Amino acid sequence: MKNGKIGSALAAATYSLLGTLPAPPAVAEESGRWDLDTALMYYSEGDDRVQDVSLGILAKRSFDDDRVLNLDLTVDTLTGASPSGATALGAAQTFTRPSGKGTYTTPAGAIPLDDSFLDTRVALGVGWTQPLARLYTLSAGLGFSTEYDYTHLGANLSLARDFNQRNTTVSAGLAYSMDDIDPVGGAPLPLSAMADVGDLSNRRGTDSKDVLDLLLGVTQVINRTTIVRLNYSYSDASGYLTDPYKILSLVDPLTGDTLGRSPAPGTEGPSGVYLFESRPDTRAKHALFGEVKKFLGGKVLDVSYRFMTDDWGIDSHTVEGKLRWPIGDSMFIEPQLRYYTQTAADFYQVSLLSGEPLPLYASADSRLSDMDAITVGVKFGWTTPSSNEWSARLAYYSQTGNVDGSQLIGSQNDFKQYPDMDAVIVQFGYRFRL
Amino acid sequence: MKRPALIALLLSITMSPGCASLGVSPWERDVLAKSEMLLDGSPQEAALDDHIYFSKEASSGGRSFGGGGCGCN
Repeated sequence: MKNGKIGSALAAATYSLLGTLPAPPAVAEESGRWDLDTALMYYSEGDDRVQDVSLGILAKRSFDDDRVLNLDLTVDTLTGASPSGATALGAAQTFTRPSGKGTYTTPAGAIPLDDSFLDTRVALGVGWTQPLARLYTLSAGLGFSTEYDYTHLGANLSLARDFNQRNTTVSAGLAYSMDDIDPVGGAPLPLSAMADVGDLSNRRGTDSKDVLDLLLGVTQVINRTTIVRLNYSYSDASGYLTDPYKILSLVDPLTGDTLGRSPAPGTEGPSGVYLFESRPDTRAKHALFGEVKKFLGGKVLDVSYRFMTDDWGIDSHTVEGKLRWPIGDSMFIEPQLRYYTQTAADFYQVSLLSGEPLPLYASADSRLSDMDAITVGVKFGWTTPSSNEWSARLAYYSQTGNVDGSQLIGSQNDFKQYPDMDAVIVQFGYRFRL
Repeated sequence: MKRPALIALLLSITMSPGCASLGVSPWERDVLAKSEMLLDGSPQEAALDDHIYFSKEASSGGRSFGGGGCGCN
């Protein structure tokens, strides 16, 4: 016992002389075992919009010398309807499904929602982290995901260096992804008109996009109870960045009504003129992210802010706060709050005007419009006597669009044109060791 | 706040001894070593959130790489 105490004291003295920090005891003891972090999430939007069930498993194995292997698997199943981009109209509207097989109809006065979506996504990732020389840490990873119309392959590499008795860590990382898009029915020619059922003459085959991400970060220990992080990130996407399923209504510039059309005799098809959207084939984003984490006598406050700007004209601000409040020794409750606001993309417009030259780029995708979102949630956690952790989270996510009157013409003012959205997120988590 | 007062405040902040010695000694890391104080302490929750917001908003990433690998946006 006495020797043990001397040993500990010597070890502490050695560490302090070397300016290094021993790994937290919990980790050191469990070296060579698997830590599993699992989650089951149910995401449900109101009005029969998107429903998603997601299962995630994150497995971490620690080896000697601070080497860590990370494996992750996520399976998503998505169903439900999404706003197509077409405007609400005083009459029922019929659209051809993205597959070109069959139609769907939206009632008068309603925002058109395309209910064709049904997808399962499987994502796999593997990562490796290890020290490289005394103060450096190297991380590398590979990711792969596949869904019905999309395949992603990505790789990333990061290097971190500790300074100032490991109170400061500076890191730089690079990620590259190559994605293939194989839209249902083929990728439509930008700004071509939605055609009758069975007519795929305006569809091309598959397409692709590449994304390069750069991340520079600093974390700084301020004092015994406070740590901060500041990141700058740059993302450069090129290739097919259009959403192949989004459309715009071509409208009369005076009445605001969608131009009508009739399907060819003997076929079904759209009841109006709808053009497939068109986005630029490059996008550069810059983001600044700051986070402060503070221990307040047992409670932990985590506040973060992100500013993002891109060359599509979108600026966004995100503020997020979480307060983890312990209940006794083994439980906690954590209220969570997030606010998000973005400006519209330069090429966002509610509809296209008939008789005017078509712009090069146009999208009525509500996700590219001026909007605000708020998430209010609460998480509850319980640590078992064997140090496993159960958690449950319930959150409410709400989006509100800001389509100002100047963007609406004539009859478009008679109906709600922005698809505000409310969603509920239910998540269960279990962390354990094997 | 008047400009001289503001300058004095900024100087006092930047020149205070606290800033010259940001951080802690290795033996003062008891609190920071707690799992709930880790900056990436809930990776699963962060990944699920990123996935939702990536597919519903025009921004992504910031905390880590931009995310993606999803046809949802």
